Amino acid sequence: MKSAHCSVKPRLRAGPYFLMFASSLIILSACAPVQPWERGRLAQPQMALDGDALLWAMDEHVYSSKEAASGGGGAAGGGCGCN
Amino acid sequence: MSNVYRPPARICLLPLLFILFSFGGPVCALETGDPAPAFSLPRLGGDTPLALADLRGKLVYVDFWASWCGPCRKSLPLYEEMQASFPANRFRIIAINLDEDREDVLHFLASRPVSYPILLDPEGVTASQWQIRVMPSSFLLDTDGAIVKAWVGFELSHIEEIKNEVRSLLR
Repeated sequence: MKSAHCSVKPRLRAGPYFLMFASSLIILSACAPVQPWERGRLAQPQMALDGDALLWAMDEHVYSSKEAASGGGGAAGGGCGCN
Repeated sequence: MSNVYRPPARICLLPLLFILFSFGGPVCALETGDPAPAFSLPRLGGDTPLALADLRGKLVYVDFWASWCGPCRKSLPLYEEMQASFPANRFRIIAINLDEDREDVLHFLASRPVSYPILLDPEGVTASQWQIRVMPSSFLLDTDGAIVKAWVGFELSHIEEIKNEVRSLLR
């Protein structure tokens, strides 16, 4: 004799997953890698995350001494991506 | 026991893999021995375009650069000295500029003028054909227009490497 719960068919709710997949396709259709020669605007000083390297280094020093920890301050940002 | 449908993990991974592969670029690039793609580009300050075919029979050093690229700015005056080290009828330097704005090129070259031809490719059409992946990129072509050697990026040591290559080919 079969147990009762075996006869219960699982409700198929694949819709949200399909929707997530489909929306990712739609969003990514506009994605294109930035070519090396298209980085002129990214190379402008205004696009740099740390506009002043010395000021940034000093801020980082103060922050790391207050937090007693350092690192993890880097992030991808502007720049020409040269060399 | 929940009767809500849970898709297998591999189905959930599909969108993730799709995202990862969407950002992957082609890895092929021009290699030694490949014929250099032909181009004919307008010259900065000149009326007639310059074609690569016009330089057949000479060693040609092709450099892709932009005024906003730090290593490129460093390399251009050094190429001027390099051009002067070899006879112009046997070795020529061609610098293909990829700035979107011509004013930026003029502004940069006003302070560092060069005598070799500066060609303009603001749309990056030629750069795309030459499969440029890094700025700057440069190539040494033999007298038949085939790639002898390619340099990615620029370092001071490249100048001596290029000179050595040119010397050995001119012998």
